[in-house]
Amino acid sequence: MNNFSQQQQKIRSAASRLLADGTVRFVIGWAPTRFAERTTVLFAHTEAEAQALVWNAHCTAALGKYLLDHRLADYAVGIVARGCESRMINRLLTDHQIWRERVYILGAPCPGMDAERCAGCRERAPVVWDELLWDADGMPETGGRQDAAPTNLDEATIADVGAGLALPAVGAACSRPLDTDTSLRSRFFRAEAVEGLSAAEKFSYWDEVYAKCIRCYACRQACPVCSCRACYVDMDRQGFQGKQHSAADNRVFGVTRAFHVADRCVECGECERVCPMGLPILGQTQKLIKEIEALTGEAYVQGMDAEEENFLGAFDLDDKDDFL
Amino acid sequence: MDVANRTNTAAGGEPKILAFCCNWCTYTGADLAGLNRMKYPANVRVVRVPCSGRVNPQFILRAFARGADGVVVCGCHPGDCHYATGNFFTRRRFMLMRGLLEFNGIDPRRFHARWISGSEAAKFRDFVSEVCAIVKGLGHE
Ligand code: SF4
Ligand code: SF4
Ligand code: SF4
Repeated sequence: MNNFSQQQQKIRSAASRLLADGTVRFVIGWAPTRFAERTTVLFAHTEAEAQALVWNAHCTAALGKYLLDHRLADYAVGIVARGCESRMINRLLTDHQIWRERVYILGAPCPGMDAERCAGCRERAPVVWDELLWDADGMPETGGRQDAAPTNLDEATIADVGAGLALPAVGAACSRPLDTDTSLRSRFFRAEAVEGLSAAEKFSYWDEVYAKCIRCYACRQACPVCSCRACYVDMDRQGFQGKQHSAADNRVFGVTRAFHVADRCVECGECERVCPMGLPILGQTQKLIKEIEALTGEAYVQGMDAEEENFLGAFDLDDKDDFL
Repeated sequence: MDVANRTNTAAGGEPKILAFCCNWCTYTGADLAGLNRMKYPANVRVVRVPCSGRVNPQFILRAFARGADGVVVCGCHPGDCHYATGNFFTRRRFMLMRGLLEFNGIDPRRFHARWISGSEAAKFRDFVSEVCAIVKGLGHE
């Protein structure tokens, strides 16, 4: 048994216990799909469903934002939380979007998943939890994935769980090999790729990116910072956001979205992961955090606790203003 | 930025510069410049805002997207804000915004901000003339 299967067992039994004793109404985790390299999000309401929860390198979806659907809940929700999810939860707590006592957090120190965002992730152990499912010790705080063969989705498991969820069993032909680059990238890898370009090259780089954007707003939808009940892009009559499908209007959206999350982004990378067009939009938010660090001369990491002061929500009489 | 929307300075057109001016200082300063019959380029379009803190970074993006060749934001000197602290927030916001604009390939010379009080009519004139000259030199993208 590799680490993933042991840990999966811990997730399942903790979830079953919470559901059995009524601590939570359901537990948010992952379930297999018909594709071996993909998992989906599962809201396990029963103990039987809790046995369908999986934990493997393909658990790429970040779960934190789903809590927002239950912000007015009069019941508690259980959630499996890795480093990124726990920072998302802190974000939602800081922004007064959820009640701490209505979330039961199953802390799951993360070995790094098969997603690009994980390659730059430095905070893999949860920073807030009610119950730590396994020890973070021995886990690389930085570095590549711990497990070289990180899938426990053997045919039997898939057939088994797949049957429970009434999904067809998987054919091996569907498998995509894991991303083999497990080396840790720099924290601002996306931003650094663009910074070296000339102004004209930068402009055409982003033009190319935003010409492909379909304005599905998935990046906003997935982001734990985007918790406004009414987003400016949906206010059709106000004219804040041009509705044309053009690189220029898409760019206004892209840059505005980045600026709206500028000082609160928890660097979970979910915006980029969910982009159906595969656009490298993490560069924008990484750049903003880099700029904040340059302006303050201090490390700026959000989501580490629930009582943070945000850069743009405060000021200092001695702030730099070298271009004003 | 949509090239079709841009004033073609290369073809001899005049650049458009949008100036967001705080009602309590720079707007009055610009008014004073007018009362004193000071001359400054007609390329500058002034938009009155209640405070420089009202200027949402999106205004700037939208101005560029809709054809402005340059954008200027002006407010009261730090400490003089009519609302006490509005311009301190503005300052942080625009320091950050400048980095993001530059990252997106918009020449930082197209985006300027300045503290100009109600009595500094000459400063307003000099500043907008200077920006106008810079932007004219850049042409359009
Ligand atoms: S972003 Fe970090 S904590 Fe989240 S899944 Fe990837 S490696 Fe794990
Ligand atoms: S998810 Fe991608 S395609 Fe959709 S709006 Fe965001 S950047 Fe555009
Ligand atoms: S902007 Fe992207 S990386 Fe930042 S918190 Fe939102 S989803 Fe996560």
